[in-house]
Amino acid sequence: MTPVRLFGYTDKISVKPGETIQFHVSAEGTDTAEAQLVRLVHGDQNPAGPGFIEEEVACTANGRWRVEPQFTQVGSFLEVDDPQGRLAFANSFTLFAFIHPTWPASGKRQTIIGRWDGDRKQGYGIGIDEKGHLQFWIGRGEEIERLTANVSLQVQMWYFVAATFDAETRRATLHQVGVGNRYNGLLGKVALVDYESRKSAIFRSKPGNLASTPFIMAGSRSRDAQQRACVSELYWGKIDRCGTFDQALQPAELDTIRSGLVPAMDSLVAYWDTSAGYTDRGIGDLVVDVGRHKLNARGYNRPVRGQTGWNWEGFTDCFRLAPQEFGGIEFHADALTDCNWKATKAVALPHGLKSGCYAMRLRSGRGKSLSEEHVVFFVRPGRPRARIAFLFPTLTYLAFANERLSFDHPEREALTGQSAVLSDIDIEMYMRDDFGLSTYDMHADGNGVCYSSYHRPVMNMRPKYRMPSLDVASGLAADLSIIAWLDQSGFEYEVLTDEDLHRDGSEALSPYACVISGARPEYYTERMLDATEDYIAAGGRYVYAGGNGFNATAGIRDGEPWIMECRRRDDGYKPWVSRYGEHYMATDGMRGGPWKVLGRATQKLVGIGLSSSGGGRSEPYRRMPDSYHRTVSWITKGVDGEIIGDAGLANDGAAGLALDYYDRALGTPPHTKIIASSGGHTDSYVVNQQLVLYSYLGLYGSYDWRVHADMTYFTAPNGGAVFACGSVAFAQSLPINNFRNGASRVLANVVEAFAGAGRLPGFAWVNEEKQWA
Amino acid sequence: MLPLEYGRSEDRDIIVRDRFDGFRREFLRTLVNPEVIEEHRQSALGQHSERLERLLIYFRQRPLEQRYAVRAIEPFRRYQVVRLSGRRGVPPRLVDDAIYTSANDARHGLFLRCIRDLLET
Repeated sequence: MTPVRLFGYTDKISVKPGETIQFHVSAEGTDTAEAQLVRLVHGDQNPAGPGFIEEEVACTANGRWRVEPQFTQVGSFLEVDDPQGRLAFANSFTLFAFIHPTWPASGKRQTIIGRWDGDRKQGYGIGIDEKGHLQFWIGRGEEIERLTANVSLQVQMWYFVAATFDAETRRATLHQVGVGNRYNGLLGKVALVDYESRKSAIFRSKPGNLASTPFIMAGSRSRDAQQRACVSELYWGKIDRCGTFDQALQPAELDTIRSGLVPAMDSLVAYWDTSAGYTDRGIGDLVVDVGRHKLNARGYNRPVRGQTGWNWEGFTDCFRLAPQEFGGIEFHADALTDCNWKATKAVALPHGLKSGCYAMRLRSGRGKSLSEEHVVFFVRPGRPRARIAFLFPTLTYLAFANERLSFDHPEREALTGQSAVLSDIDIEMYMRDDFGLSTYDMHADGNGVCYSSYHRPVMNMRPKYRMPSLDVASGLAADLSIIAWLDQSGFEYEVLTDEDLHRDGSEALSPYACVISGARPEYYTERMLDATEDYIAAGGRYVYAGGNGFNATAGIRDGEPWIMECRRRDDGYKPWVSRYGEHYMATDGMRGGPWKVLGRATQKLVGIGLSSSGGGRSEPYRRMPDSYHRTVSWITKGVDGEIIGDAGLANDGAAGLALDYYDRALGTPPHTKIIASSGGHTDSYVVNQQLVLYSYLGLYGSYDWRVHADMTYFTAPNGGAVFACGSVAFAQSLPINNFRNGASRVLANVVEAFAGAGRLPGFAWVNEEKQWA
Repeated sequence: MLPLEYGRSEDRDIIVRDRFDGFRREFLRTLVNPEVIEEHRQSALGQHSERLERLLIYFRQRPLEQRYAVRAIEPFRRYQVVRLSGRRGVPPRLVDDAIYTSANDARHGLFLRCIRDLLET
């Protein structure tokens, strides 16, 4: 019997009361699910805290839903719009492409370009066989005729490949020539490798052409077990400029194309100039046919564009500077940016819904076979009324969405200093290949995943989720500790998401006197960063309630907020690194990697920035001399003694996981006060590699003073201010002892002052001799 | 990066790595004593002596398919030790029937397995 499983996602994650939201659900082992709208209050099930808390909410959609299994097309490819069948070659033709395979010997067939239906054995294609050899094939429905190159393709090397078919003589040819240079591939000139193959054969027949077969790049038509049309034989690697002729070209003509020119011949049917249509602010999913028929190709699961091409000379490092050298489009058979499931239910949300984090809780089965899924979304206010906003760092949730670091990344355990603690959902996700990867993972060909999406089930954006490599509640589950704290504190608040901040800029924040961040607001687009800076500079009061924030660049394309892009450079923490020349985001043209390198260290924005990170035991903060200063002594009012945060749901302390510190050299505002600092961290905590020029022994917790968290405060122009907590684990110290603890007291003092009307406490103390209490 | 599963039959680096590993293991075996095991039992995630830290650093650097993890059968209540597959899509396998009542106890069980592997091979 199939175990009962329910998975879902929504079409959007930020909605207003009264709006309609679509739920896309896939079910296994059941055809019904009990749906109940819930508001999520607290997630972490650690017995030292309040445990999991949800509130059931009345909604017309509550009740039994019909659910069904849904099909997911995994893999990126391009499909050509050819309604008149111009690519259905009945007679002679030529196919050509520049290719850079990243996993030629994958053990599976790959189609590079072609109009091929593998189930019906109809059409033609040029691709790679199971052993990594280039192949040209045709079929008429019964047998497949193949012509295979006699040398295998080298991984990560550029080739010009072409296949011709002369219908009169039935002669087929296959050409494979290496076009590597000093920069564009894995191997240099000194490697003794045979790249070239030229083969020919006489085929017995001509290709068949089904009207329903699409011309596809990086895959070919197939059918799944239910006979639904899908794309398989997916290709791993880059494809640069490619095209077709309706005649069999001669070797000299192919040599001309290989040199970068395309003959202006009447027989040219399509020429996809993969570098056409670039703008400085991004590249879309449409690949343009610059030939006379305009047979444009549309990307599916977002092929990676703006990659270095076959003719890249290495002098420029960005597609904006020499687009013609960056025509590479990268494909991965395990890419996924949209499950494209049918909508299971469109739900009109109640008009009076309180702003907050919600989920449609779906349940099916009984007892031990009960399957429960929380499909999470966020409700922002219809019209802002509260003085406080909590900003869910949804872009960071996306960056980590469905990460599998504990299984796949050889350095993860060394980084956290502890063995992974895997839950059943982690193991299940690792076994499945239909929910995609995170920007922390690598595709199976070893290349980093640079797109992540919420149009798929995101199993670590769930209230009870624990991150296995750290064995703590993380992301949404950690941020709910701040929501639960706000709820019990009695503060009126509303919630926003990164998506709203990116779309609306500082206008998203400006209605609020006080904005509170999540525990790890790590990924920021330029627009989000600008909006936050403008909000604070215009008098906004900002609580940076975490650590490792505002650290990494990210891109979101207008109109498609469900996909985020992330490129990684060699100057920061990174689970993988983009190849040279591929550090710039195709989404918006911004350079990927840490913001610090771009002149926007976190310290410039909120006073502190990443000093170190690690796993294992967390530590408390101790009050620092500044905290007694009359301008800021109100922050620690009511705190008993010197220690703040000596317990927590994340390894028993408020300072842990990732720590931020004050650094004038990185832009901490000059008048910033250090309220408290942590110390005594274990050697699992290592200094942020962006802060050091060399690697050397002793960059660890018990050796290097920089391994600590600073809790800081500064006033900003126009009555604004920033309070920074300094650590990712801080939020998880709030629920301890039923929210009665030093960390909770400090945050309450700050939020109360920030949300209040009028000037901030301590403003009147201007003469230095009277500053000390 | 090369594909996660590429043929390593021609990769000579493995010979160098294995030789280093042999020397390293020989030395690490001399560090194992009852005190170091007791230290880990008392504080699996704390600050460690150099002797214990050296052993742990080694265990964390083993090839993925030779590494263990903890499986939470029921968070905060029941745990087991599993061995990673090192192959994408292949789940970890159970190494024995021992059930631990805390993650820390399971971490120590995992540590003892690593010690046993070190001493026996």
